Amino acid sequence: MREAAVVSQSNPLQRIPGVALVLVLLIAIFGAIAPGFLSVANLSNVLVQSTILTMLALPMTLIIMTEGLDLSMGAVLTLTSLCVAIVSLATKSMLLGLGAAILVGAAFGTVNGWLVAILGIPPFVATLGTLGMAQGLSLIVSDGQSVVGIPHSVRDIYSATVLGVPVPIVMALATYAVFHTLLYHTRFGTYIFALGGNREALKYAGLSPNRLLIAVYALGGIMAGTAGLLMTARMNSGHPTAGLGLEFDAIAAVAVGGTSFERGNGWLLGTVLGVIAVGVLRNGLNLISLPSSVQVASVGVLVIVALFLDGLRSRS
Amino acid sequence: MRQHERLAYLALPFLMAAAFTTQAYADGETIAVFTKNQTNPFFQTVRVGADSMAKTLNAKTLQYIPTKPDSIPEQLSQIEDVVVKKPSAIVFTPVDYKAMVPGVEKMNEAKIPVINITDRSAGGKFISFIGADDYSLGLETASFLLKTLGGKGNIVIIEGVKGSLTNVDRVRGFNDALKENPGAKLLASQPGNYQRLQALQVMENLMQSNSQIDGVLAANDAMAVGAIEALDGANRKAQVIGINGTKEAIDAIKSGKLLASGDYNGFAQGCLGTMMAIRSLRDQPVITEIVLKPTVITKDNYGPFDIPLEQRTCPSWEEAGKLGGK
Amino acid sequence: MTDITKQALSPPRSFLSQDAIQVFYRLLAALLICAALAVFSESFLSLGNILNVLRQASLTFFIASGLTLVVLTAGLDLSVGANVALSACIAGTVIHQTGSPLLGILTGLLVGGVVGLLNGVMVTALRIPSFIATYGMLWVLNGLTYWYMAGDTIHGFPAGFRQIGSGYLFGLPIPVYLLLIFLAIGTLFAQRTIWGQEIYAIGANPVAARLSGIPVARRLLLVYAVSGTMAGLASIIFLSRLNSAEADIGESLTLPAIAAVLIGGTSLFGGVGTVFGTFVGALILTLVLNGMNLLSVNANWQPLVTGVIVILAVWLDMKTRRRTQ
Repeated sequence: MREAAVVSQSNPLQRIPGVALVLVLLIAIFGAIAPGFLSVANLSNVLVQSTILTMLALPMTLIIMTEGLDLSMGAVLTLTSLCVAIVSLATKSMLLGLGAAILVGAAFGTVNGWLVAILGIPPFVATLGTLGMAQGLSLIVSDGQSVVGIPHSVRDIYSATVLGVPVPIVMALATYAVFHTLLYHTRFGTYIFALGGNREALKYAGLSPNRLLIAVYALGGIMAGTAGLLMTARMNSGHPTAGLGLEFDAIAAVAVGGTSFERGNGWLLGTVLGVIAVGVLRNGLNLISLPSSVQVASVGVLVIVALFLDGLRSRS
Repeated sequence: MRQHERLAYLALPFLMAAAFTTQAYADGETIAVFTKNQTNPFFQTVRVGADSMAKTLNAKTLQYIPTKPDSIPEQLSQIEDVVVKKPSAIVFTPVDYKAMVPGVEKMNEAKIPVINITDRSAGGKFISFIGADDYSLGLETASFLLKTLGGKGNIVIIEGVKGSLTNVDRVRGFNDALKENPGAKLLASQPGNYQRLQALQVMENLMQSNSQIDGVLAANDAMAVGAIEALDGANRKAQVIGINGTKEAIDAIKSGKLLASGDYNGFAQGCLGTMMAIRSLRDQPVITEIVLKPTVITKDNYGPFDIPLEQRTCPSWEEAGKLGGK
Repeated sequence: MTDITKQALSPPRSFLSQDAIQVFYRLLAALLICAALAVFSESFLSLGNILNVLRQASLTFFIASGLTLVVLTAGLDLSVGANVALSACIAGTVIHQTGSPLLGILTGLLVGGVVGLLNGVMVTALRIPSFIATYGMLWVLNGLTYWYMAGDTIHGFPAGFRQIGSGYLFGLPIPVYLLLIFLAIGTLFAQRTIWGQEIYAIGANPVAARLSGIPVARRLLLVYAVSGTMAGLASIIFLSRLNSAEADIGESLTLPAIAAVLIGGTSLFGGVGTVFGTFVGALILTLVLNGMNLLSVNANWQPLVTGVIVILAVWLDMKTRRRTQ
């Protein structure tokens, strides 16, 4: 249901979304100049490295489609990863740790949704507030220290494979499948499009926009909780500041992927491509050993170029 | 200009960059150097030290710095990337000494020799560890201030970033120094996040709630400088110490504004880490652990520390043996 | 005249309008915090502390005031912090090389303004959404600053220059004078000039604004340039107060500035908000930090307290806003 922009048929390149073009370009360039880039090991790394961000960016897409924003995701991810660490350490069970993480994430998500929908606080401020709360709780429960000594079952998740595919990628694919179905094949999905573009229609249909909004933010919290498991597995520890700032990466990936902040359109695949594009860029620049300051600037250039190309498409 | 022509022009900078970087693989070994961020002057000294030693020994360094300062996920990703590249050896500062352990284990699995510098990693196999002890630095520098005050007075602590190992150890050192001086009273311990602006504002606020402050223990030099500016602005005096021994701190010591700074000799750590890495590759004997003795830079001894970075020379192998190693 | 055109060219907003009432309630929130702090901390109500708070708030305010204009047009500028860092580092270098503080000040303002203008160009000519354009700019600026500074610090400036940030005039810190001046200028500009009205109109209804002849692109360029220049001003205040600068000084400046704008009542959807509201927002944030230091709140708890108060302050506003509508 990607809003099709009216494009002139004269230049076929204009029909490809900006992010896809950028991604292909990056792969082509790095494939040519970066030794080892196209190896299975490296490409697999890039995909696995993108999984946590993907799991945040997918629900973020939905939230942005409702003309909202969730700045607390990075802090909630940090808190849930600590939950996984602390609970699994105490109970020796990875599943209980995951459960705790999802509960905490869902709680924060619901609070976000409640602040935005019921209290009417602008999402930027509401989630800025819950960011502080989650960050504070992370520091308090950990006293500023990493939590280590967690059972091997947690860390094995990150390196385990299912039929040769790394578990994190399986989880990200499953997340994508869930969200794709949710957005494009259920009534819930239609309501989300309506939340962004046409909120009145919902009211006339007798539905409560408030409950839907809360659900969307809660979904974000649940995904942050699930991603918390991956984060803890990756570090084999819980750390009080590890995930801070990831929400901006997620938002950028969503925007780069073509979801716009104004209208109610959204493109899930675009978001994933956006996440991968940034991952490919960082990986490629590391492989060619570009100076770090140039790497930093390149991320900015990438993001701007992707959206510039997108803007060119919809202009014709 | 057609769109695809525009795109081709975008590719040019990358191609040029590749041309410039690929030519360097010709001489000697490649040492990958990992540091925490691009902004802290301390890590710049580490990198310069590493580069300097590599140049002397005819090897090449590749610098790996997270684009987001101190980012754990990014450093983990960079480790995965570096393993694909297979440098000859790695000189490694973990962004977090516990969370990076899986990364170190990945490097071990790939059979790349690793030297641990600055923060002692909580796990993984290393050829050698080169570091300074944040706890003793905190302890010694704070003790120096307390001694200058005659063992008594009103003290405030300005902490660094919560969750950082250096902060935990340095503040612990401060607190233990205070315990050894029962005549000194700790009025407050507030976070400055290692940032000079925040430390300034914290200091201003603390000066309001405490009319008499005799000593300020700041967990790094940037915050010490912020505290000094706050004191100057309010026309109040107190003894201030910082840690890191940056050029700015040494200038402040020279002018009498800063009492002392704990020397966290990043240059030496970079040099020695790279030295051990190259020596191990060349089957030469290495020192498995060097913990640089805590040195407090003061008005009386700042001379040797006041050399501009470009002119400093790495310690030699013989000197390394004397630097507090095993 | 059609309804759309009427809406776009509505009469200049009198200060006693809706906005003023909103601001009053926000001021109320700030005063509540002050009252609480006065009760719990005996050092809060001293002249020295109040002046400190005002001076600390001024830095956030300078950045946030320019940002307010951007947000009024339904835009956002995420690059302000990085802009401050780059401007401070370059201005500092100029002062060192030329020995002239005036040249340094002009450089700081110029660099800030140019960066702002580039943001504006991306938003208007290149049609890139402001969130992404300024986010990308943030990274580019950081890259530039990291490369330029190479981990170094710039420090040690002439005493005269340092008076700007740390000096007093008739008992008031100089930044507080600047705060009052820019508060006045900002308010007059937004409420009393045609340009200001047009900016509100663009935020409220960009299509109608364009149709009624407002040169939208030029006004947008203006607001982003102003936002950048105010970041440049903030960089000078920073340099002169801290007597130093390094690459990462901007990181902790952006989010508080945006928070100040939003707490102050300016809507991200544009068309609603005041510069005075932003001042109150900056004040609230500064009061919270001041209070936490005075009351020795444990470092672990500080982000939590800040988060809760931010939500409370805005919630108070939401409640009162609905009542006045």
